[in-house]
Amino acid sequence: MATRFKSDETFRDDYRYGNSDEAILRFPFPFNEDGYMYGVNIEPHSRAGSNGAFAVAFDVDEHYVSECAERATTLALEPGRCLVLPHMDAAQWDTLELIMESLAADYPDQFVLERDGLDWTWTNRPLGLHQAFRFGDATTLPHPPFEYIVRQAQGDFTLQDQRDGTLYMDGGIATTPADWSLAFDVGMTFHEWHGPVPLAHQAGVFDRALQYLMRVRYGHPARRLNWTMTINPRLDTSPENFPLWGPDRASLTPENIGAKLFLRVELQSFFRLPRSNALLFGIRTYLASLDDLTRVPKWGRRLHRVIRDLNPELIGYKGLTRYHDILVAHLAQFDDGTPTTAGIAPDVAQLP
Amino acid sequence: MTAVPASNRPRYAPIAPDPRARAQLLVMDHDCPGDGAFAPGVNLADFPERWGIVAHALVLPEPLAGAGVKSFRSSAHLLALLAHRLAAETMGLRLYVVGSEPFVWDVARVATEAGMGRDEMQLFAMGRPVRRVSCVHCRHINPGVTTTLVTCAGCGVTLTVRDHFSRAHNTWMGVQCDAEAPGELPAVEDLIA
Amino acid sequence: MIDGQTLTLRVADAVLVAPGLRRLHLVAADGARLPPAAPGAHITLTLPTGHNSYTLVSADPEAGYEMIVRRTLQSRGGSRYIHDTLATGDVIAATVPHNLFALHSQARKHLLIAGGIGVTPMLAFIAHLRRSPAPFKVPFELHQLAAPAETSVFEALLDARPGERVHVHAGEGYFDFTALLAAQPLGTHLYTCGPAGMMNAVEAAAAALGWPDSHVHREDFGASGGEPFTLRLAKSGIDIAVARDQTMLAAIEAAGVDAPSLCRGGACGVCMVPVLDGLPEHRDHYLTSDERASSRLVMPCVSRSRSATLVLDL
Repeated sequence: MATRFKSDETFRDDYRYGNSDEAILRFPFPFNEDGYMYGVNIEPHSRAGSNGAFAVAFDVDEHYVSECAERATTLALEPGRCLVLPHMDAAQWDTLELIMESLAADYPDQFVLERDGLDWTWTNRPLGLHQAFRFGDATTLPHPPFEYIVRQAQGDFTLQDQRDGTLYMDGGIATTPADWSLAFDVGMTFHEWHGPVPLAHQAGVFDRALQYLMRVRYGHPARRLNWTMTINPRLDTSPENFPLWGPDRASLTPENIGAKLFLRVELQSFFRLPRSNALLFGIRTYLASLDDLTRVPKWGRRLHRVIRDLNPELIGYKGLTRYHDILVAHLAQFDDGTPTTAGIAPDVAQLP
Repeated sequence: MTAVPASNRPRYAPIAPDPRARAQLLVMDHDCPGDGAFAPGVNLADFPERWGIVAHALVLPEPLAGAGVKSFRSSAHLLALLAHRLAAETMGLRLYVVGSEPFVWDVARVATEAGMGRDEMQLFAMGRPVRRVSCVHCRHINPGVTTTLVTCAGCGVTLTVRDHFSRAHNTWMGVQCDAEAPGELPAVEDLIA
Repeated sequence: MIDGQTLTLRVADAVLVAPGLRRLHLVAADGARLPPAAPGAHITLTLPTGHNSYTLVSADPEAGYEMIVRRTLQSRGGSRYIHDTLATGDVIAATVPHNLFALHSQARKHLLIAGGIGVTPMLAFIAHLRRSPAPFKVPFELHQLAAPAETSVFEALLDARPGERVHVHAGEGYFDFTALLAAQPLGTHLYTCGPAGMMNAVEAAAAALGWPDSHVHREDFGASGGEPFTLRLAKSGIDIAVARDQTMLAAIEAAGVDAPSLCRGGACGVCMVPVLDGLPEHRDHYLTSDERASSRLVMPCVSRSRSATLVLDL
């Protein structure tokens, strides 16, 4: 892996953050056509022949070291952001095993997992960690197993118990949430935690998605993309801290919007966990500014069309209301009306 | 197609006894249910065992199990004794709960802790909407909220009462309503059931 | 290791534990770790006679998998193959473990009722329950019905510890399920595995006593595959044979025809295609009941055909 990790980025306060050209070109652009509406856009995860963010189970990119430091900061300030109900203990170990196995397999130069029966040794070179422990014995790790491993992964995660014909969110970590609270939502069913999403319920989207997810098998993970927008490259857009980041929504101007407004894409992945039979959801968050994305001509055109024609209920739900007009006006300059290709690929190998 | 509000609020159906149940227990926060709590054709006599709250202390303790009408001094009194009752119960019981929304979910929590599933209970919340609102910023729980905005007694922020309900915690979510533009408050309205 | 789809297993040991009961110990053919599994999981073996699913009595990534197979005179002869032909050292393909019969996380007590070879998931359950650390320990009670000649075999398999409520009952005839179920405390979950008649009797007794469906669990291997049929693609002008364990979509793709698809799980609607003739067997989660009844549309990623031939507008 050729990644050079940026070690001193920040996602709050002074917002020292930027995407390399490579990061922009591999960005998981969420719009495969010139309009957007909810659907069951789930597909198998990591098929052969995929590249970039879709080629591996858990993507590690140039922001890895900085994002892990950001997570550590959030957890030090707000430990309740990681929470697992007691009956999900087996799922904690499942998660640790899955993420360790995956990182070691997908990035063998950076992560090493050695196993001798239940005596495991884990090496995380980017973070400089070396840990010997006994699988199944939490006293041999510095944190509970789920927390231990998600501190070394990018993105949020939730643990779902499958029972009574639905999924219950019975644990997780939410330090990069797009305006949802783990502490409030823990214990909710699939339909209940999606309650606030407009329009999708009557279209039957959640009924179908739930049926699909309950049938996800071990070794056959799935994924989908979700999106919203964030002012500044702020990962912690939690409801808890809304007083801190809410005012940013009124700070956009036509002059600063290109650099200050970020498309926030969630690569959501769904894994069956073998010992607990639970489902692990990964919520991997990518941020790229409008200035970043509009360097790709196809994406500039498409973004304008999607945002201009977005359903008003979605505009409201995604928090875009206050600045929607100046956003559309800004994006218009990148749209010359030329047709765009289907699919999300950038269609360029280098950025101008 | 009628618009479904973007919400996870519970929807309550009028109660009808489950013919497959071995035993039925009706629990109310008053001494009788209000109008509309029962399905057409259903009345109190269909529930030989009924618990209600009379809100005074002149209540004689009685054996917990068995047919009959039992009165409790308060909600807390009823919930404590319900836990004991369920701990001694066998499979086949259905629980029917009628009362204010906070009350029915308090009862549901006791039942869930006893191992009952959602398909063993029927809940019917009635009366003017009254909500416990959990402030997501400071975690204080503000009881007795009847309007769409409330000042948090924990941190002083004006909260909008989001239409997002936690059945497990029996609270609604409160989020600062003027974070984007401090001081810019929408009009206060009553909560609608 | 594994490609996410199949395991290549080697028979490490095969022992007759009783007349007609063979215990297999399977390990990875290349000596690698196997996927772990939750109690109640099963794997599906690819045998020369077809595909057979068996519950894992135990599953350890390093020690391997164990199953117990009853020799029966079933239609395709899978169990006869396992008893009479399969030998130590043989290599067979299998699916990764899949669990449709899991212990419920909210149970205050687990009641296990098994008949004959239905003991296999119960063995996995009680091994797990016995190992649970004290704060998480949930009480259980097990009743095993066995033919009189086999009671000692099942007692040895179950190996009841002092103080455990583990009972083997001779005779698969009358057993008073009603009395047993009537005594169960609120919060008990019931799990049954064995002959269909026995499972039906258990479920009927539970229903008559007012047990809710959410608390009654029955062993299930899931329905996948079905009868082979012929698929005619009207626009492409070709006929395709869809095999027993192959999806329509896989058959279409194998024939080199370009068919759009996304989730491959019957939920997203992308692969939906019009039906020109024949009767589809719907297994998706997307079509409305009217659309299903009209038989004009089908989702080839999961659905099959009731008729010998199905004609698609593809």
